[in-house]
Formats: sequence, C-alpha cells, structure tokens
Amino acid sequence: MSEKIYAWLLQLYPSHFRKAYGDEALQLFRDRVRDERGFFARVRLGLDLLADFVESLPREYLHVQPGLICASTQGRLAGVPSFSFVREELPRPGALLIGCMMSVLTLAAIWSALNSAGNYRAMRSLASRQSLRPSAATQQAPLLRPMDDADGTVPALAEGGKLDTAEKQRVIEGAINNLKRHYVYPETAQKTAESLLVHEINGDDDPVTDGAAFARLLTSQMRDASQDLHLELIYSEVPLPEHPGEPTAEDHERYREAMEEQNCTFEKIEILPHNIGYLKLNSFPDPSVCEATAGAAMSRLNDAEAIIFDLRDNRGGEPDMVMLVAAYLFDHPEYMYNPRENTTERSWTRSPVPGNRLADKPAYILTSSLTASGAEHFSYGLKMLKRATLVGETTAGAAHSGVWHRIDDHFGMGITETKPINPFSKSDWAVVGVEPDVKVRAADALKTAQKLALGKLQKK
Amino acid sequence: MPKRKLHPLPAAAFQILLSLVGEDLHGYGIMRQVAAQTDGRMRLGPGTLYSSIQTLLEGKFIEEVDLREDVKLGQERRRYYRLTSAGRKLARFEAERLAGLLRVARAKKVLRGQYV
Repeated sequence: MSEKIYAWLLQLYPSHFRKAYGDEALQLFRDRVRDERGFFARVRLGLDLLADFVESLPREYLHVQPGLICASTQGRLAGVPSFSFVREELPRPGALLIGCMMSVLTLAAIWSALNSAGNYRAMRSLASRQSLRPSAATQQAPLLRPMDDADGTVPALAEGGKLDTAEKQRVIEGAINNLKRHYVYPETAQKTAESLLVHEINGDDDPVTDGAAFARLLTSQMRDASQDLHLELIYSEVPLPEHPGEPTAEDHERYREAMEEQNCTFEKIEILPHNIGYLKLNSFPDPSVCEATAGAAMSRLNDAEAIIFDLRDNRGGEPDMVMLVAAYLFDHPEYMYNPRENTTERSWTRSPVPGNRLADKPAYILTSSLTASGAEHFSYGLKMLKRATLVGETTAGAAHSGVWHRIDDHFGMGITETKPINPFSKSDWAVVGVEPDVKVRAADALKTAQKLALGKLQKK
Repeated sequence: MPKRKLHPLPAAAFQILLSLVGEDLHGYGIMRQVAAQTDGRMRLGPGTLYSSIQTLLEGKFIEEVDLREDVKLGQERRRYYRLTSAGRKLARFEAERLAGLLRVARAKKVLRGQYV
C-alpha cells in the first residue's frame, strides 16, 4: 500500500481525528514501511492496515455526535439571520438512504428527459454533445491527426463537405479552451466562453454549415460578448500547419535579397514642388535588414519643409520599423500605442534622431482602404498624437494583435494576450480602421495632401 | 462528544498503558512496544492506536509530554505520551481483574501451565 493510498484512506476518518492524529498516523505508516521490508512483511503490513481501518473507522464515527458549534445566542441581533454549523460528518443512516434514493431518482429523471427530449432544443443539444462525439470521431478516423498546442484533444476537421454539428462543437470547445487558457482577462474569457455555449445551445449556429461563415459567426459572437475586436476565429480551407516553423537562414537570405531588390519597399523618395518631401513606403520592413535604407531615405528628405508619407499600398510589417520611421517626427521620445505588445521601453520612439530636421515639419499620411496593420499602427499613433494629418480613405482595420492559436486543421483563432496602455481611446483600429482627418478618394489623396501642405507652408 | 467507555478496558488500551510503564513513548514506539510485549500478536494499526490514545487522553490516563526527536528514527519531531498515576491505577485494576480471571480459569482447570 502506498503512502498516497493510505493518506487517502485517512481522509475517511472524521475531521477531529484527522486534525488531531492525521499527521502522526501518516508518520507511523512511514515508520512501518521503512522498518518492515520484504515481501511478507509488506503483505502483513497491508493486511494490518486494512484490518485496522475496518475496525477503527466505524468506532471513530460511533463516538461522534452532531453538535452545534458557534451556536452562542449572545451577539445575535434580532431579526438578523444567523448561521450555526453542525459539527462532524456522519449523517443518520436514514438520511443517507433518502439521499441515495433521491440521487438515483434525479439521475433517472435526467436520463429519461435526455432520451425523450423531443423538440426541447437545450436538452437535445446537451444530449448530442454526449452522444455525437464518439461516433463522429470513429467515422472520421482516417482523417484524424494529432492535435495542436492548444489542448491536444480536438480532432481535425473532416475535409471537404459541410460542417456537421459534432465538428462545430469541436471548434467551439477548442475556442473555449483557448480563451480560458490564454485570454488576457479571465473574467472576459469566461463570459465569452459562456456566450459561445449559449449561442450553441440556442441553436444560433445550426443554420451555418460553411466553414468561413461559421468562423465569422463565432468571431462576431465572441466580439459581442467581449467587446474586443481583436478576437477572431479564422477558417482556412488549406490545412493549417501544426507547428509553423521558425524562419530558417535561407528564409532570411531570401528576404534580404527581396528587400535589396525592392529598396526595402521605399518605392519613391522625392522632393515635390515647394520643397515638400514625399516618401512612398509600401511596407515597414525588418530594420535588421533595412535600417540603413530607411536612414538614407529619411536623410534625403531631411531638408524638406513638409513631409508626405504615402502608405496607400502599405500592408504593414515590423513594429520596429514603424517606430524607427516615426522617430524622425519627434524631438523627444514619444509613446506609440501598439496593440500587439505590452507597454515597454520599445513603445517609445528613439527620438531625437541625430541630425534630423523633420521633427517640427508638417507631416501628412496618405491612406487607402488597403492600408493595413503596421501602416495603421503608424497612422493611428501619429494621428492620435496630432503629429500628422491623415488624408485619404478609412484604413483596413487589421490590428491582428491576437496571438495565433490553432484549433484544428481548418480553424484557428487570434487571442488577445497582452493589454498595452492605449492613452488615446478605448478602442483602436481593429476592424473599424483608422479614420482619416481629411476624407478623399485614395487616388486624390496625394494632390489633397500637397494642397494642404502648401497652404500650411504659405501661412508661415 | 461522548466519552468513550473504558469499562471493560479494551485490550489495545490496556496494552498501551502497559507499554508506557517505565518510559515515555511516541506512537510508533508504543506500537513497537505493544508488539514486543505480545510476541507480535498485537500490531496496533494507526487507527486503533490513535483512537485508543485519544480515549486514554480523555480519561487522563495518559498525557502528552512534549514534541521531541527520536534519535534512532531521524529528524522528525514526535509527540510523546506518558502514563499518569490514574493510568497506572487503571492498569493495575485491569491486571488484577485478569489475574482474578486467571485464578478462576486455573481452578477450573481450563488453563494449564505456570502462567502468573
């Protein structure tokens, strides 16, 4: 008999006994185990302990009599309910018997209700949760794959065809597990998880059988419950890799070559009429490859009287490059909100940049409905800091700040795991995008910005 | 909680009282002493041992002495028990009662040999 088993057996003794002698009993057990070695001695010890248990346990309970403690009448206030505790455990045998019978009857009633649930949706849904899963899993056995980092229990979705109830339940269950495990605020996670279940039980998910539509539906359910636009559930027709690998040295080399070929996506660096600097930047590339290019580009614009950042074709990139470029617009470190990262010293621009003369020059950012992610980070930050005027269209609304968690072969989700300080607003650009200060068609944005810049320069 | 009956004195309780004659012992020491004095016939399990100890403590037949280490058994501090004068008296009464029984048994030739 192991110590664990004996400790468990000790739990069956009344609490007063455990409290007074539990430790000593365990110590005695250890002493005997230590001293009584050999097969026969151990068998004898086991038998001794069992016999002792059978003999002493009933005796301990027989000497226990329920008594009220904390039942003092002093200190009770008239009309105020008070509580007393019945000390010690063993209920009367009659009460135990009635308890057992009631439990059996209740279980039988639930069982019968589940089996003849008829049109009662909530019950039927509960029943199907239990019954569908194993059969569906068996039917899809050839398609099953080992599972993800999230919980390792959710089997992969059947490929092709429509989603069935069991598959949907698996995705919901995976989403709930991920939320509870990873979401930054446990209370919100709980609320969101419950909301997913309520929708499921209410049959709100029943009409949807298409993967993408189901992902959108769950996304909106989660966002409604959490008020967090960063939460999203994503469907992929192409099976999602189980463990996306780290970029290899080859990948880095390929990236470096591509960036060199494209001048790090610094597509145009020009001085427009009236000495207005114009930078068309199509991404925010990795500074470890492009820092020098970025520095060269900015220094070419250093003498401009105003600067226009054209981000209409910019789909984002590295936050570090966002910070690096933004640093030229300030003469002191400035906080740039980034929903992807907790607030650290990296959240401040490394301003002033030595030799830079753009810190106090009017700045304009051209946006389109395709301007996304890192480019929105740049635009949102500078708009909120009132450091740049945004001209063009509302941006794409791609915060993508959630950390990716794979649910199965076709579903994954982005979960908010960090909560950086947003000093400007409760929400950011997730889903809604960044509103420009001057709303014009993307195609007209450059002209408009030039006019605005000129107007400003002439006022000087 | 009702007091447990010590009349008639249960065998385990009597053996515990006897084991404590002459020296203070901790639980495991009592268990070993009882096993020794009964030629291994009575090996008190933790439940019976501490249940009896509790009863004897309630009746003030034994008392807790202190916590100390048993140098032979290691660093753990153990609670020691000591026989009280009431306990010694109870053990004597029980021994006399058994001696009386023995005399009867012997007189009726139920028992042979030279016991007691």
